[in-house]
Amino acid sequence: MKHLPKHLRPRWRYLAVELETWPDERIGRRSFQRELWYAGQNLLGDPGSADADLSVVRYDFADGRGEAIVKVRRGETDPARAALACLDEVDGAPVGVAVRGISGTIRAAEENYLRRRGQDSEERNVVFGNEERVAVRRDSVGDVRLDEAFVGATDLDYDLA
Amino acid sequence: MYEAVRAHPDGKSTVARFAKRAADYGYEGVVVRNHDGSRADYDPERIQAEYGIDVVAGVEIKADDPQGASGAVGNHRSSDTIVAVHGGTNRLNRFAVEQPKVDVLSHPMRGDGDINHVLVKAAVENGVRLEFDLSGALRESGGHRVRILQSLRKLREIVAHYDAPYVVSAEPTSHLELRAPRELKALGEQLGFSSEFVEDGLAEWGRLAERNRHVHSESFIEPGVERGRYEEDA
Repeated sequence: MKHLPKHLRPRWRYLAVELETWPDERIGRRSFQRELWYAGQNLLGDPGSADADLSVVRYDFADGRGEAIVKVRRGETDPARAALACLDEVDGAPVGVAVRGISGTIRAAEENYLRRRGQDSEERNVVFGNEERVAVRRDSVGDVRLDEAFVGATDLDYDLA
Repeated sequence: MYEAVRAHPDGKSTVARFAKRAADYGYEGVVVRNHDGSRADYDPERIQAEYGIDVVAGVEIKADDPQGASGAVGNHRSSDTIVAVHGGTNRLNRFAVEQPKVDVLSHPMRGDGDINHVLVKAAVENGVRLEFDLSGALRESGGHRVRILQSLRKLREIVAHYDAPYVVSAEPTSHLELRAPRELKALGEQLGFSSEFVEDGLAEWGRLAERNRHVHSESFIEPGVERGRYEEDA
């Protein structure tokens, strides 16, 4: 079909979103998109989520951290932000979500708010709570592996062995 | 704005990790609200120096009955800046709002707990902040979440009517569950709270901490009477 003239095309806003989970979890693009739409539908209802759109247009996830660009109709960024805040688990993996910024183009959103990935993570032996543990560490924060789960910590909490 | 967090061993992240992330999200401080059975081990000054964020020592008293809670409130009042009571049953809700030594009644609507005009009036009289707990709105789903949203609305209507003091928190138990103030305000708007209401509720933790620190400080003797600098007699 012939594309719309410019003044009739929807105006979009692009939310630059940062994702984080525990080191042994992975979040795929499809699952993230599915959960985001569910979150939108659950919070905003069908009309609200149709207005917000919430499509994931860029997605990158590696090493426990990820970045995504979420497309939202202009004027619906606050409901979209609320829906994103309600995203707390993807495929059973707890996920931390933060909106870093909003731009009118994908490129501006990426350049201004994303691509800040810090160091690659490394496994280090640490002493945490008087016991020797393994921590997945980067940028002076580390997730310490306990017997069953991780504990989010920083360099202030453990001694590097 | 402050957020009240559950740190390791009550939660899954340490106080330092919470503080670092909260500072990144634009909070001015975190209140450590571990239950009295699982206190966190941390150094507030060091965290404050490292991440530039205020760390407030708090406690959330979890007791089976008002007698137990009463003893615990007395024990923690002098050592902790903010004393909250783990609400969620009618007896404990009632105990907390009638006790001026309590700062915050946490999640009064959780479980079987309920709030009515009598309790809210008592809370106003005793200066007990009622907590709006957004954790259910953020992390639950389905019918359970619908009930939680209903209870939040009920609490909001009564609190607004009596102009009762309140705090807002998402009760994060790990740095992954922490959400930025703007996100909480956006969520609040969807639930019928104005963004000023949410902001005020987050800021109230900070005001509470400041007031209690002042009261605990050595210069404070009683309301209106303080040790200051006086001119010496000639």
